[in-house]
Amino acid sequence: MSTAAAKNLTFAPGRRAGEVDPRLTGARKARTPLSVVRSAPRKRRAPFVVLCFGLLAVALIAVLVLNISVSTAQYQLVTLRSDQTALTKQNQDLTQQVQNFQAPQNLAAKASELGMVASTGKGQIDLSTLTVSGAAKPAAKGDSAGAVIAAPAVPGQLNVVPPASTNEPLESRKPVVEEAAAAPAKKAAVAKPAPVLNGGTIPAPAQKVPGQ
Amino acid sequence: MAQGKATRQRVPGPPKKAGAPKKAGPPKKAANATKRLRLGLSIMLALLLVVGGKLFLVQGLDVGGMAEAALSNRLRPTVLPAERGSIVDANGTVLANSVIRYNITVDQAVNTKTESFKRLETVNGEEELVTVSRDQGISELAAVLGMKVEDVRDSLTGTKTYYIVAKDLKPDVEDRVSKLQIPGVFSEGTSKRVYPNGSVAGGIVGFLENGDRGLAGLEQTQDAILRGADGKRVFEIGADGLRIPVGVDELTPAQDGKDVKLTLNSDLQYFAQQAIQSQTDKLSAEWGTIIVSDAKTGDILAMADTNAPDPNDPGKVAAKDRGVRAVTAAYEPGSVQKMITAAAVIEEGKAKPLDTFVIPPSYVVDGQQFDDSFNHGTEKRTLAGILGWSMNTGTVMAGERLTKQQRYDWLRKFGIGEAPEIGLPAEAKGILTPPDQWDGRQQYTVLFGQGVSQSTLQTVRAYQSIANGGVMLQPRLIDSYINPDGTEEKVPAKPARTVVSKETAKQVRDILESAVTEGQIKEAAIDGYRVGAKTGTSQSPCDDGTAGFCGYTASMVGMAPMDDPRFIVEVVLQRPKGSIYGITNGPIFRSVMSQALRTYNVPPSKGQPVRLPQFAK
Repeated sequence: MSTAAAKNLTFAPGRRAGEVDPRLTGARKARTPLSVVRSAPRKRRAPFVVLCFGLLAVALIAVLVLNISVSTAQYQLVTLRSDQTALTKQNQDLTQQVQNFQAPQNLAAKASELGMVASTGKGQIDLSTLTVSGAAKPAAKGDSAGAVIAAPAVPGQLNVVPPASTNEPLESRKPVVEEAAAAPAKKAAVAKPAPVLNGGTIPAPAQKVPGQ
Repeated sequence: MAQGKATRQRVPGPPKKAGAPKKAGPPKKAANATKRLRLGLSIMLALLLVVGGKLFLVQGLDVGGMAEAALSNRLRPTVLPAERGSIVDANGTVLANSVIRYNITVDQAVNTKTESFKRLETVNGEEELVTVSRDQGISELAAVLGMKVEDVRDSLTGTKTYYIVAKDLKPDVEDRVSKLQIPGVFSEGTSKRVYPNGSVAGGIVGFLENGDRGLAGLEQTQDAILRGADGKRVFEIGADGLRIPVGVDELTPAQDGKDVKLTLNSDLQYFAQQAIQSQTDKLSAEWGTIIVSDAKTGDILAMADTNAPDPNDPGKVAAKDRGVRAVTAAYEPGSVQKMITAAAVIEEGKAKPLDTFVIPPSYVVDGQQFDDSFNHGTEKRTLAGILGWSMNTGTVMAGERLTKQQRYDWLRKFGIGEAPEIGLPAEAKGILTPPDQWDGRQQYTVLFGQGVSQSTLQTVRAYQSIANGGVMLQPRLIDSYINPDGTEEKVPAKPARTVVSKETAKQVRDILESAVTEGQIKEAAIDGYRVGAKTGTSQSPCDDGTAGFCGYTASMVGMAPMDDPRFIVEVVLQRPKGSIYGITNGPIFRSVMSQALRTYNVPPSKGQPVRLPQFAK
């Protein structure tokens, strides 16, 4: 509205919002003029949000650390278990080798290979009277020992008595000349074994002998 | 701008029909809106009802078993195999045990389509990923397995997802195979039974069928105890192969089998086996056995058979050799039975060791004629001499003092016709017919061991009662069971049986000792020890069912040292060619008995050996 037009209006001075011009009573109510109202200071929400995020982060990190420690322990467990399995297998393998060497027929074959014979004399030491009975006789080459019981056919194991290698501790005691009677025993022991099939078609692998 | 209520401009609508209901504008719109709202809401409610109902059906009532089907899909039962128990001898030497072995399997589909793969290798001291071609992988695998490259290639090519390339590999070989990291090649662990001592005690230990069920020997009779009980683990596993931690997880641990500890001594067993095998080969006999028994406990220290099977490869020997003849083969014992006759007449008070018997060259009684193995004139013999020279005539003369029922009862008392139960399959009971079924000849021949059959172990058991002061102990093969936790449960000895009095046993021992010192069994003597023995040479009935006898059974049984008997050794040879007499077993008896005495550090005998006169004054 132009100033001139405004002067033409007969408004009462000091008119404030909400006041109704008396002349307008009865007619439609005039709209309240708008003005800026100063509002109350807003609450600061930022720290609370930061706190929330902080808690979330802490919780996540805590869960992560827990998982990591559990997983580390699990890895250690797996490593130790595999170590245990490997050692058990090694132990079994070595035990079997020892048992193979200890088998009576293998011992007897090895002894005859070294030239040992069955003893013919015996003596007794009586500890209560400290007397020794019996006369010691030098070992004499007797007849052939007779039947040879075959070595145990444990599959995958040495099934020949291993020939003496140069590092053999009893090498010096071996007879220089191979006696004919010892040959059958040795031949039975050292003959190349037929592939051990165990009822299948795939031969069991033969163990390599140290020194071969 | 002030605005009041909008004044509705009345739009001239269609001419009103008379009688048409006058609808207010605003209420019509409101009614339509509410109706639409209600309709939409009801449709949504209906849909919600459907969903809710379905949810209730699926979750609450589980119509169609979906939850159960899903659970069974997730559940993975795994068998935890139990370890089979070992068989060990008296000193702990392992005769049978189970070891880990590996089968190499291949997923052929995966391997065939992977032309090359990467592998971490150390090159020039540094680890780097090396590309390996399929061919190179195959040749490396063939080298490790010891197979031909073509065979390995054939095994690895195809469409099968599971194919076994190699079986029963040792762990170190499997380790090398897994280091090759060939795609599609896996290893699975299995258990394998190995017998480190091979054919030593092979028949007694027995063997398995398919690595699982015992088929002979102790593996068969003790199968339930050796086997243990498999465990079970049930857990839930997702489709990605990871175990679901919060799901079902039940574990029943496996119970390993118990170990069986025997009374055998492996070294003595080997010695006896080697000895009887040599003797059988030398005399071309059908078979032979040796039993070494502990007189004081009844423990069997060695039970040797010829051609014993190696349980690692039992197919190598004939089927008839895979048992233990020492307990399964019943034969007519012959003169070793005279010991029972002598013990019976002495216990019944019908004779004494030094009683005089006048023996004609051949003895006729009840129309039956009996001769001795050597020619002689009329002789005056003691009872000791009758046994020392193994005279059938004299035995009949002494034995006929017993009634038929007494002869039968004494044989039964000494365990003839009663199988010894030591835990081996097919133990022979022997044949001892009741006295009313005996014919005119058999009633006398049972006195010297013909017309009755028994196994070697039964004879040893009878002699053990004499060695043990007249108290018979049942033979024992299984000493104890060892639990997986290491505790040992000894198998209790069966009740002892007093057969004869101590004095009678002593007198019979004197007779047996005199047979060695004064009689015909001088071959059985051992330096430094007092030995008592008895030989037996019996006619062997034909095996193929033809009537009559085919060949002889030569045996010798003895005990030492006679001042306090520790061991009983019996050596039996079936149908030897050449020398058929029991005395030929003398050197074998001597060597086995010496070995037993030496192994157990038995002190030499002191005092004087008994020398009962063989001829009466």
